[in-house]
Amino acid sequence: MDIQLSAEQRAFRESCGKLAADLAARWHLGRGPHDVASAVPDEAAWSRVAEAGWLALRLREENGGAGASVVDVTVLVEQLGYHAVAAPVLGTVIAAEQLQTWQAPPGLLQEIAEGAVRVAPALDRDLTGFAGTAAEALAWDAAGAEMAVIPTSGAVHGLGGPLPFTDLTREVRPLDGRPVDPSSLTLTAPGDDAAARLDAFALSLLTADLLGTMQSALDAALDHARTRVQFGAPIGSFQAVQQLLADSHVLVEATRSASYYAAWAADALDGRAASRAARTAKAFASRSAVEVCENAVQVFGGIGMTWEAPAHVRLRRAHADRRVLGDEHHHQGVIADTEFSGPADAGRAEADLSRS
Amino acid sequence: MDFSDAPAVADFRAGLRAWLRDHLDEHRDASGYESAESVERTLRWHRALAGAGYVGVSLPAAYGGRGLPDIYEAVVNEELAAAAAPPPPPIGHIAHAIADFADEDLKARVLPGLVGCEEVWCQGFSEPGAGSDLAGISTTATPDGDRFVVNGQKIWTSGAMWSRRCLLLARTETDLPRHRGLSMLVVDMETPGVDRREIVLASGSREFAEVFFDDVAVPAADLIGERGQGWRIAMHMLAYERGPADMGWVGRLGRVLAGARDDVRSGRVTADAPLRHRLAAAAVDVQVMQWHVTRSLANRAADSTGSGGSVDKLLATRVEQNLYRVTADLAGPSFTVGPSGPFADYLWSRAQSIYGGTQQIQRQIVAQRVLGLPRG
Ligand SMILES: Cc1cc2nc3c(=O)[nH]c(=O)nc-3n(C[C@H](O)[C@H](O)[C@H](O)COP(=O)(O)OP(=O)(O)OC[C@H]3O[C@@H](n4cnc5c(N)ncnc54)[C@H](O)[C@@H]3O)c2cc1C
Repeated sequence: MDIQLSAEQRAFRESCGKLAADLAARWHLGRGPHDVASAVPDEAAWSRVAEAGWLALRLREENGGAGASVVDVTVLVEQLGYHAVAAPVLGTVIAAEQLQTWQAPPGLLQEIAEGAVRVAPALDRDLTGFAGTAAEALAWDAAGAEMAVIPTSGAVHGLGGPLPFTDLTREVRPLDGRPVDPSSLTLTAPGDDAAARLDAFALSLLTADLLGTMQSALDAALDHARTRVQFGAPIGSFQAVQQLLADSHVLVEATRSASYYAAWAADALDGRAASRAARTAKAFASRSAVEVCENAVQVFGGIGMTWEAPAHVRLRRAHADRRVLGDEHHHQGVIADTEFSGPADAGRAEADLSRS
Repeated sequence: MDFSDAPAVADFRAGLRAWLRDHLDEHRDASGYESAESVERTLRWHRALAGAGYVGVSLPAAYGGRGLPDIYEAVVNEELAAAAAPPPPPIGHIAHAIADFADEDLKARVLPGLVGCEEVWCQGFSEPGAGSDLAGISTTATPDGDRFVVNGQKIWTSGAMWSRRCLLLARTETDLPRHRGLSMLVVDMETPGVDRREIVLASGSREFAEVFFDDVAVPAADLIGERGQGWRIAMHMLAYERGPADMGWVGRLGRVLAGARDDVRSGRVTADAPLRHRLAAAAVDVQVMQWHVTRSLANRAADSTGSGGSVDKLLATRVEQNLYRVTADLAGPSFTVGPSGPFADYLWSRAQSIYGGTQQIQRQIVAQRVLGLPRG
């Protein structure tokens, strides 16, 4: 057992953090809902993302990628969450992994890896899972994307304009049937194990984005608590404030443990055990991130309720991430049906008691 | 990043599993302290586990442990939980305090009995006037030639009624600032002048006592470390007491959850959809806590603040108290009408946020020592 990031992973975290902070700094938040910068990255920003190899990280070498581990990818994603990066890296990486799992042509994957083709994952209307049909599907984290693919049919869809979305750093867009080239792909459905592994991958990444988001909410709240003075003392010296922050820290650390486990499991365990771990981690991270971001808003006081302060940006990202690929209720529902249902319960699924 | 067992850990795990297969059945119910019989059953389980070499595995081999890395404690907890076995004895905190501070002679005299579970120990810290404010204790140990003479009163002393020895925090220097005047002694509970009076817990369990010391003579050789080191040793010990694996909590909660799962799956207990979902949420909590404890044990040697145990304890408290709220509802009408088992279990979960330093004190430690917030 060796439950920490390696020296290379720590160095990678640092370099990811630098670029993420840089990208985030270009995304200026306006003073009101009407002058928020677009989540669409400009050409310069997007080519830096591609040059950093972020889009290619997980693709296998034959698809123009670096074949990195899921843990490596989550190291990057945590930094995206930490800096609330608006460029659609996560959506692209998840869409690319889905296409890779469905054996999309290497040429297309290579173009995605290079940033030349921009693709977003198509999710169900309620964002709970990958979409099976285009009707009502939404492309998520789709700022600047040209297309989304429905793998079951191989249909490639153009995207409509962004819909109003809680998360200001990301766009959701309908699959509006605008023609794209190519208009369809020949894909091959993955086996059960590969499909479960794809789920585990995507859920692990969302967990890492939530982890980064909550860690930054906590860090910002801590900074504020050390510097804001009331009653002649920093508010961080008041016990009620300390207790909120201590509870938040506990949730962040527990989520970090869950994120590490899920990411490790996504490569190391079979698909079933990996997806169970990822489901568990995502459920925990979903509820914990919202709680931590709410606590941070509280510590900021009035300023935390303003458009200008970033506290709501994190709370929004946490809420949206929480829904994407299933919130805690969704995943706990699955666990209830697979592990906690009796002989009389309808829809009792095959038990998954495999140790993970 | 690697959560998998190294070969040696895998062997250890397999050995423990095999042992449990052969020996667990005779000890299934050995997890209570409600009566003399249940105490006896519980102690028999502890001795069997210790005899097989699964207690205090991270302690030095010379004193009855196995000298294994901390992570093996997590393995013991995980396997006991997976087998729905009774929890291991909660001795890690006392054993580490002694192993890390006592001189060779004292270690050799007392540790094998503790780790072998031949002698039961209790922890005499809290007093009527000093609970959270532990440094305010007033029990004194007055140096007198080659011995100390102890006078005072301890309270909430778990297991005192059947303990042979007590790890006692007492004031040896009355002229020093409060934290610096404390020392840690090993007291033989059969020494004349020790008087125990049972305190019954709200659950009905009889595992607690107040202990009076009236001119109790303790050999100077039974001082742990040096005079004036008591506070440091106490803090060191509490850090372990707050570590969920050292105290067997991970195992205990896993067992409770596994029991609930079996009840529902077998149809012994029916649960409606909302309750099944709450069970699933509790399962998520317990699983994340297990991963977290594994991670923190794997990295404990590098925890520079020594306050990681407080984070773990806060997590375990949250997880435990939620779990027992759910199992209370799973018990249905029997939670309120009928034998008091389910209610007693639930009540016990409420103690989690009190003993070993209350939840409020743990949060304060995390806020000030881990997060570096200013003291109020
Ligand atoms: C089941 C059980 C087993 C125990 N076993 C042992 C044992 O074996 N040995 C032993 O020595 N002790 C033992 N204890 C005692 C335990 O350590 C104390 O009860 C605990 O430290 C709290 O002290 P107290 O009871 O005096 O409560 P108090 O310190 O009076 O606290 C009462 C309330 O005030 C709050 N409070 C106190 N100070 C502060 C503060 N500064 N800031 C915010 N809130 C504060 C507390 O959080 C708590 O909610 C046990 C207790 C229980 C319940």
